Amino acid sequence: MVRRRLLSLILAQLNMNFAISHSRYYYLKKRERLWEPILIAVSIGILAALLAFGVFRISSAYYDAVAAIGQGDLTLILGILLSQLVVLILGFVLVIAVFYFSNDLSILIPLPLSPAEVLACKFSVILSNEYVGLSVILVPLFIAYALKAGVSPVAYTASAILVFLALPVIPLTIAAVPAILLMRVANLSRRKDVLVMIGGFLFIIIIVVFQFFVQTRLPGPGEENEFIRRVLSAANSLVSLVGRQFPPSIWATRALGSAGTLPGFLYLILFLGVSALSLAVLFGIGNKAFYEGVVSGFEAADATRKKLLAGQFPALRFHQRSPARALALTEVRLFTRTPVFVLNGFTGFVMFPVMFIIVFLVGRVGESGLKDLWSLISSLPDIRAAGALVVGAYFLVSAAFSSIPFTPFSREGVRNIWIPMSMPVSGRTISLAKALGAEWMITLGSLPGVAVLEYLLRLPVGYLLSGVAIGVMISFAFCLWGCIVDMARPMLNWTDQQKAIKSNLNTALGMLAGIVVTAILGLVAKIVFATGIPGWAVVTGMGVIVTGILGLSLNLTGAIADRIWCRRHRI
Amino acid sequence: MSGYSLLIEGVSKTYRGSTRPAVDNLDLEVRPGEIFGFLGPNGAGKTTTIKMIVGLLRPDRGRITLDGCDITKDPIRAKGQIGYVPDNPDLYDRLTGIEYLNLIADVFGVPQAERKRRVHDLMDMFELGGAITDIIQSYSHGMKQKLALMGALLHDPRLFILDEPMVGLDPRASHLFKELMRKHCDRGNTVFFSTHILEVAERLCDRVGIINRGRLIACGTIEELRSLHRTDESLEDIFLELTGATTKPETNGPGLTTDREGR
Ligand SMILES: Nc1ncnc2c1ncn2[C@@H]1O[C@H](COP(=O)(O)OP(=O)(O)OP(=O)(O)O)[C@@H](O)[C@H]1O
Ligand SMILES: [Mg+2]
Repeated sequence: MVRRRLLSLILAQLNMNFAISHSRYYYLKKRERLWEPILIAVSIGILAALLAFGVFRISSAYYDAVAAIGQGDLTLILGILLSQLVVLILGFVLVIAVFYFSNDLSILIPLPLSPAEVLACKFSVILSNEYVGLSVILVPLFIAYALKAGVSPVAYTASAILVFLALPVIPLTIAAVPAILLMRVANLSRRKDVLVMIGGFLFIIIIVVFQFFVQTRLPGPGEENEFIRRVLSAANSLVSLVGRQFPPSIWATRALGSAGTLPGFLYLILFLGVSALSLAVLFGIGNKAFYEGVVSGFEAADATRKKLLAGQFPALRFHQRSPARALALTEVRLFTRTPVFVLNGFTGFVMFPVMFIIVFLVGRVGESGLKDLWSLISSLPDIRAAGALVVGAYFLVSAAFSSIPFTPFSREGVRNIWIPMSMPVSGRTISLAKALGAEWMITLGSLPGVAVLEYLLRLPVGYLLSGVAIGVMISFAFCLWGCIVDMARPMLNWTDQQKAIKSNLNTALGMLAGIVVTAILGLVAKIVFATGIPGWAVVTGMGVIVTGILGLSLNLTGAIADRIWCRRHRI
Repeated sequence: MSGYSLLIEGVSKTYRGSTRPAVDNLDLEVRPGEIFGFLGPNGAGKTTTIKMIVGLLRPDRGRITLDGCDITKDPIRAKGQIGYVPDNPDLYDRLTGIEYLNLIADVFGVPQAERKRRVHDLMDMFELGGAITDIIQSYSHGMKQKLALMGALLHDPRLFILDEPMVGLDPRASHLFKELMRKHCDRGNTVFFSTHILEVAERLCDRVGIINRGRLIACGTIEELRSLHRTDESLEDIFLELTGATTKPETNGPGLTTDREGR
């Protein structure tokens, strides 16, 4: 009885998550824009197939390399460890978003369910999302290994399926437990949104540091000689080293590598058992701490900005702004006050400077390394110009990966989209305002990274400012186009904020576009540099090109926005 | 100029995939200074009509003009005349009340001095002064409804369009709000609102329209509706009769004792 209730609840959650009924209604019953999902499905399929094939090729090649020194299992360890790390890093924010900021929590909590059961529902949602992503990496990896290592088919396949299913469980619980505790603590505070954001970033930074240490001890595929030397000198210790960082990856590897033998079976049992145990721990902690976090989360964060004495009237400020500026300001406020948005959108901005500081503090590069770099820089005449362009490119890349520019309308959701739609503003104004808001956040977010770049490259002020100007202009143009894409096909029906900005196709589109534009501009710069034109002229030329792009974008996107804004009538 | 504040001509709307139109060939006119009540059972098409009036949905056929301004042809000017409150007051949860009001005032171009005076007046009326600097997430349903109403009134709209505005208001607020609607209309503005509260419609509205299954089945003053039915029945009885409710309660009985309702 309890099982069936839970199962049907989980099925309902999965239905919502993958929008099964929703798609069936819109695409099959209403036959609305049927070409669109087909196109999307086909392109996602092609992309996934390409990616899977790439993983297959890399793992096969890697296997050959490491098998030569009798360490074929390293292929599996590395693949599994990396997948688990990705799950861990992305899992934390996902857990906060799904556990604490889902729209349906106020429906689920009054149901006669234990906290652990609600937690199980939400956990199944996250898990199912992870499976979709992981299958692209793990299935080709497992197949490549099987073909190369010559395994016993039945036992290997069975173990592979079980390992695949259990793989995200441990990293997800490792992410979920601190997330639950963080929410529990943060929700006690009046400044809980700020706490959630800080805690989230801290967690991600810790994981990145951890990953950094693992990776510096595991040489990448590029450093073959060094790698083989190290493996030969400490063949077994390398495996056990990785194992010490994260033993479950070893168990999973052994379960697969020795599938069909008793040790393999025992490792499989160990891996599954520990996964189950971690789930039990999660549900145990969840039963105690989950609801309190959620329920106090229903209380508005920071409810009263200034405490008023009884009868005292607040001193209100009334500045008149232009509609575009008012809307842009609102855009920034809404984004920066929503923890899930901030954690997703600003992670990239934080990551680069943090990585740098870690590398610097760990001392691998250190003073002497920097001195070498700086003497190299001063010997290269064009490095300043190239550095200025790198600064510009940094803005564009971090904008593309922030998922801020391509989701401004999706973020409004079905609940709020009526507000801009019923305002007497043109499509041009609204897209300009949203792009301005996005650009404002991107500029501020990029500054730490620019500071690090400046520290590394020691650009003269003129070049630095040119680079920043180029970056601001090109990323602003990028934001304008992002608004158009998201205005044309916003994803309004989301169940948690994470979906609005991460599981949004527009975000993927934006990343792709960002890479392509950066690559094209980089290529142009490279060609121009090769002709021997002086560096300042290249930077100036790039400035002119980017100004042109921005001007053209302003005109074009304004005209397009005016047309589609008034034709967009789907609420 | 058509002389009408709101003119709906032959408007139809079928949601894609649906076989039955949600609004079917609707004709309606509302004159300046009028309070128009829009009645009808659940799913009759009231919200759909209102969304088309304010430009959130596009009609399949027909024309909607606001003060001579076509909502599909000149949406920006048309929307500038409207103060709209949707059926669910879903506002920006993470703004404070005053930030939301300032946003609306900026977008509608309300000058600083005037917005200050209006915000203070509305705040006093709705008794929202103490909460105006709190974030909207912390508001009760009724407080959100009040803030949505304040936002819609801030730019003194020619046309006030409301989808079930009384839901969630306390008796005092709804009393004051009804007075405010009256005053708003006395200054030559127009109010168009949907409601399920027939007593309100009966007492407040200059004219009412009853819509059922997407069609307008009656329209006029309460007296006109009564004389049409040659009775002095209450609006409730007329409504039930027109919308084909088979379980018409006894007019003299306590009303709760009919068999069907007992089940
Ligand atoms: N987004 C939508 N998609 C498809 N059909 C819809 C949608 N919204 C409403 N409908 C359909 O249109 C019809 C009219 O709905 P509408 O919301 O206008 O009714 P209403 O008069 O406002 O009802 P209520 O008194 O319950 O608010 C209903 O049959 C409903 O099923
Ligand atoms: Mg309605």
